[in-house]
Amino acid sequence: MKKTMLSLVAVAAMTVSLSATDYRAEKADTWTAKTVPTAIKALYGEITPADGEIKLKAPKVASNGGAIPVSVKTDIPAKSVSIFQDANPEAAVAVFTVPEGANADFSMKIKMKKSGSITAIVEGKDGKFYSKKLSLEVALGGCEG
Amino acid sequence: MKKLMLALASIALMATASMADAPAVAAPTKVKMKIKAKEKDGTVKAKVAISHNMLTYDQAKKKGKEANFITHITATVGDKVVYDASTSQFLSKNPLIKFSFAGKKGDELKITYTQLKGEVFFATKKIK
Repeated sequence: MKKTMLSLVAVAAMTVSLSATDYRAEKADTWTAKTVPTAIKALYGEITPADGEIKLKAPKVASNGGAIPVSVKTDIPAKSVSIFQDANPEAAVAVFTVPEGANADFSMKIKMKKSGSITAIVEGKDGKFYSKKLSLEVALGGCEG
Repeated sequence: MKKLMLALASIALMATASMADAPAVAAPTKVKMKIKAKEKDGTVKAKVAISHNMLTYDQAKKKGKEANFITHITATVGDKVVYDASTSQFLSKNPLIKFSFAGKKGDELKITYTQLKGEVFFATKKIK
């Protein structure tokens, strides 16, 4: 009886965690990492991402560093997509899980203290990683509130 | 015996579910969010504007307040998760997010977010 119960709980835990992953709880070090490479390592481990078919868009010059529109889109079957930048005290911006039936197509507005670059990493369902990097200038630093 | 097992399993499932979604701080609070969700050819495009100060640690220090920003945003249709983002203090104030997924008109889209201290807020909108 215990065995069946344990396996039921395990299945339950697995089913829930496959769709909604709290990377803040599970990969806490990602969010305190100061540089993009350390944040990537904390999140995904030692990876060598290949340059991928990823559409990463942001304005070349952001007039308002407090609200920079960034969009990332890819047709690579993805498990997760993460965004990093190197202009703020910490590098990680967001990690998206791509649930079944959802598209790896995200837009958001982010803050950047100064000019720098944004890196998007796509964790493919094939276990491989892909990345895209984009530089941008920030006219007015975005952490002044 | 079987009934007891099933009951225990469903309690475990519920407990795990609530653990995964929100720390047991307080019951989720319904708030107002600007949600636009439109379906076309089976794909729903969603645009959500959440009212939130998103105070970073730096900004909070300057203002003498406590840092508070959204750390997790989930969108669900029924019990299916269609969007799931773990986020940092670097999303803009009043974050505007866009995403798309397979869905249909009439379904209800629920947006839930958790902030730094663990409080959970949500809003719902029917997909047009």
